[in-house]
Amino acid sequence: MNKKEIFVNAAFKENSIWRQILGICSALAVTNLMLNSLIMGLGVIFVLALANFTISIIRNWTPRSVRMMVQTLIIASYVIIVDVFLKANMPEISKQLGPYVGLIITNCILMGRAEAFASQNGPLDSMIDGIGAGLGYTIVLLAISFIRELFGFGTIFGLQVLGSWWTNWSIMVMAPSAFFLLAIFIWIINTHYYKAKA
Amino acid sequence: MKDSFLFPIVFMLIMVIIFAGILSVMYRMSEPKIEAYQVETYQKRILSTVAKKIAEAEGSSVDDVMSQYPDTFTKHVRQIDNPQFERSAFRAVVGDSTVAYCFEIGGKGLWGTMQALISTDTEFRTILDFTIVNQMETPGLGARIEEDWFLAQFRDRLFVVNPESNEDVTMKYEFIAETQSPENEAQLRRVTGATITSDSVIKMLRDEINYIYNFVRKNSL
Repeated sequence: MNKKEIFVNAAFKENSIWRQILGICSALAVTNLMLNSLIMGLGVIFVLALANFTISIIRNWTPRSVRMMVQTLIIASYVIIVDVFLKANMPEISKQLGPYVGLIITNCILMGRAEAFASQNGPLDSMIDGIGAGLGYTIVLLAISFIRELFGFGTIFGLQVLGSWWTNWSIMVMAPSAFFLLAIFIWIINTHYYKAKA
Repeated sequence: MKDSFLFPIVFMLIMVIIFAGILSVMYRMSEPKIEAYQVETYQKRILSTVAKKIAEAEGSSVDDVMSQYPDTFTKHVRQIDNPQFERSAFRAVVGDSTVAYCFEIGGKGLWGTMQALISTDTEFRTILDFTIVNQMETPGLGARIEEDWFLAQFRDRLFVVNPESNEDVTMKYEFIAETQSPENEAQLRRVTGATITSDSVIKMLRDEINYIYNFVRKNSL
């Protein structure tokens, strides 16, 4: 696969959320506000790209018996770097994201891409795969949070879009709506893309 | 070599040393910036809770008081050092007279502890201002207790309504939906989807005000 194919594959054709159903815990948790989703997405893109790159560089020396420990160590280190960077330079956003930055470590997409791609391919390809997978994840987060924030608060990125006539749908702010929307999203993609293609 | 007994241990050890080293260096480099920001934010928050009273006593405006930080903080805010009182407390002074008090209070939220600042009048009965310093609630849900509309409900609110009581001196409040309008003084709007967090805020305020009021009734700060 060339670089473009790797990127498109990771971001869309084999999208971690709608195709592999990975990383949905955070997709459900942070998607009530678009800003939270964007920052979470950027954090995941950063960690995925650099973790994939690092894991790929050392793949030929990594013993099989400790490879998952090494991958976790690398992923956790990059997550802590993001956390410290946000605390030092973007404290308001860091505060808003609360515990979710730390929870990037537990995002299944990171271990999934490390095992499935980075441990078997070159550093540059792995980095591109990481950026693609992270972008695909971010797009889904933003799509869900767009609907939740718009109907739940009447805002987009915190800016009031719907007027005072609009009654906020409380359900959209609460966790169950993320389940419904994610399921509908996956259903639409599968029906209109994968099944149509098949 | 990769399959030997020792190699994985040595390899893991080297990786841990490298990454722990990188993180230590990065944290050390960022630490002064993080701490400076935390101190500044904390002091500004204390000042903002008592700024209205300082401005009234000085004949200036809240914006003037806040814009002249850190000078106004140094000039008007004194930390109360009383080993018997188990909370951080501050006195806002203008000239020789105390115009307000500020206390750091804490309580349990849904996911962890919450820290907040409240300022009271000199009789310790009315909450002048209330702000959340630290909380671990769900972003977008419980964390919305930091939004201004929620905090504003507690501003200039008489909290101690039974000053002679030996048990609970505070007023009983009930929460109504976020979209409703309060019909009386005892109603407060809760954050949608965060009932436990909203209840926790009220519990924290009542517990802490009981502690403060009962303390100052028997002792001096």
